[in-house]
Amino acid sequence: MSEITRKGWVVPVLLLVLVFAVAPFTLAQFGKGYFFQVANLVLIFSLLAVSLHLVTGVAGLLHLGHAAFYGIGAYVAALMGTDLKLGFLWGLPAAGLVAALFALVVALPTMRLVSIYFAVATLAIGQMINTVLLNWVAVTKGPNGVMLFSGIKLFGFAVKGPLAVYFVVAVVVVASIWVLHRLSHSYYGNALRSLREDDQCADAMGIDTVRLKIEVFTLSAFFAGLAGALWAYTTGYVSPGDFNFSNSILILAMVVVGGLGSLPGAIVGAVLLILLPEVLRGLGDLRNVMVGLVMFVSILFLPKGLFGEVSALAFVRRNLGVKWGAAPSEREVGWR
Amino acid sequence: MSLLEIENVTRRFGGLVAVDDVTTRVEAGELVGLIGPNGAGKTTLFNLISGFTALTSGAVRFKGAAIDGSKPHVIAARGMSRTFQNLRVFPNMSVFDNVSVGSVGAMGQSAFAAVFGRRGRSDAISARTWEALERVGLAEQSEELAANLSYGKRKYLEIARALAMRPDLLILDEPAAGLNDSETAELARFIRTLNDDGLAVMLVEHDMNLVMGICSRVVVLASGRKIADAEPAVVRADPAVLEAYLGVDE
Ligand SMILES: Nc1ncnc2c1ncn2[C@@H]1O[C@H](COP(=O)(O)OP(=O)(O)OP(=O)(O)O)[C@@H](O)[C@H]1O
Ligand SMILES: [Mg+2]
Repeated sequence: MSEITRKGWVVPVLLLVLVFAVAPFTLAQFGKGYFFQVANLVLIFSLLAVSLHLVTGVAGLLHLGHAAFYGIGAYVAALMGTDLKLGFLWGLPAAGLVAALFALVVALPTMRLVSIYFAVATLAIGQMINTVLLNWVAVTKGPNGVMLFSGIKLFGFAVKGPLAVYFVVAVVVVASIWVLHRLSHSYYGNALRSLREDDQCADAMGIDTVRLKIEVFTLSAFFAGLAGALWAYTTGYVSPGDFNFSNSILILAMVVVGGLGSLPGAIVGAVLLILLPEVLRGLGDLRNVMVGLVMFVSILFLPKGLFGEVSALAFVRRNLGVKWGAAPSEREVGWR
Repeated sequence: MSLLEIENVTRRFGGLVAVDDVTTRVEAGELVGLIGPNGAGKTTLFNLISGFTALTSGAVRFKGAAIDGSKPHVIAARGMSRTFQNLRVFPNMSVFDNVSVGSVGAMGQSAFAAVFGRRGRSDAISARTWEALERVGLAEQSEELAANLSYGKRKYLEIARALAMRPDLLILDEPAAGLNDSETAELARFIRTLNDDGLAVMLVEHDMNLVMGICSRVVVLASGRKIADAEPAVVRADPAVLEAYLGVDE
């Protein structure tokens, strides 16, 4: 790394320029709403992957029902927008909070379960929530889904056009990922990692492991809920199929392909697994085979992920201004 | 008031009485050895003290307050830290990050503080972590993954992580297991310096030279019962101890 990137603000500024200037400007050149839809999808799934990264990659809890909390957020936002006429500024936080509340209720009894049993419990919860979305017709409209025509309004102004919507999505996603980055790259994050490594040992270090697991599961669901609200408002339509088991697995695949425990890796995984099928659209049905093949090969040759945890942590410490470089010497190993 | 008071502590596993009516104590600043043949109940006693195993009967008090029934993290946060018989570090975390878990466990950092908190807290956690690393001589390897350290270094890493909690009592379960003679002697000197700085230590060890050489008092367990509790010279000459060790060559 050169001296300039060590300053701690260069990489963040470059990332912001990419998300808020280069990407939208480039997309606008093509002038097609479809490209913005794909960009929104990349952002939403980046948030989903990074929120799952905190639970599965950092805290080591194999969570197979993340899409269900995403779905709760989407339905809360969509139903508030249609039935209650409460728009985006209400729907967004409510989506996060309701998803978090559900996660808290689920987490209280399940967090004492050991690894594989916990995974099966989250699988079951995900299926249950999805079944409710599908069959509670009176509220969720069942398989027909919910249409949300109102669009995003901010303080009385309608956010019109794909570019403006993209900016709203980008602001929410970037702010959320910043929070998740602080959680992941801090001493709090180190405590979470110790749960993954050896939770009994963490207990002996004074860490309330059960509480911490409940906390991280709930926080992660909050951000999945926000992603759900963004999905509802950008597509204008939610249906149960978007939040089923295969979506949970897709998000998990993003985290694993990118690198378990690596936040930048989760984003890399999300970008790859959203863009790849779009790029390969011309191949028809064959594209799913290609996507599967790419995942298979990447795991085979890079089991630690495209951007593994060790290099990701070193990268974050050097470039995002969170290193602790004080005495002794200029070491870059701690967290700010 | 002693630092740690163990009173009539018993633990049964089904029909087996692993720890049988043991009463002893650790004073502030003391260095106590706990010895006994394999299966004597030493690890079980440590697990009882540190909250990993529930008592069948008896009482444990730490700094004057009852801790039996408390969760391990509560006891740890009160100032007791431990290592494990089968070396347990966090293999996929760096040396620094390993030790920082001890610091953050003792000092605490909430999710909110991690996101919005000011630097002061994190810097204090970092400083404490460096201090523990320097203490055991691992500062130079702070960026190494724990899994890549040699066995001997990992032993010190485990102790550094416990020291980062700035405990009042350190309990070590067979710290010298797997070390050669010179490494064992070095470790003994190190434990001695910790104790010289006022830290109370209770250690389980099979290496007699280590125990007799550095401990001011030795407790002997055999089949769960305490059979001796005295200075090393007295314990060494105790017929009951000699008998317990007959045929059980350490
Ligand atoms: N969780 C458990 N369930 C059943 N029996 C147990 C359990 N833990 C320990 N024991 C038994 O209790 C007895 C004491 O075991 P402990 O591990 O405390 O001995 P120790 O003195 O530490 O031995 P060593 O020197 O081999 O480490 C042994 O007979 C052991 O098999
Ligand atoms: Mg033992």
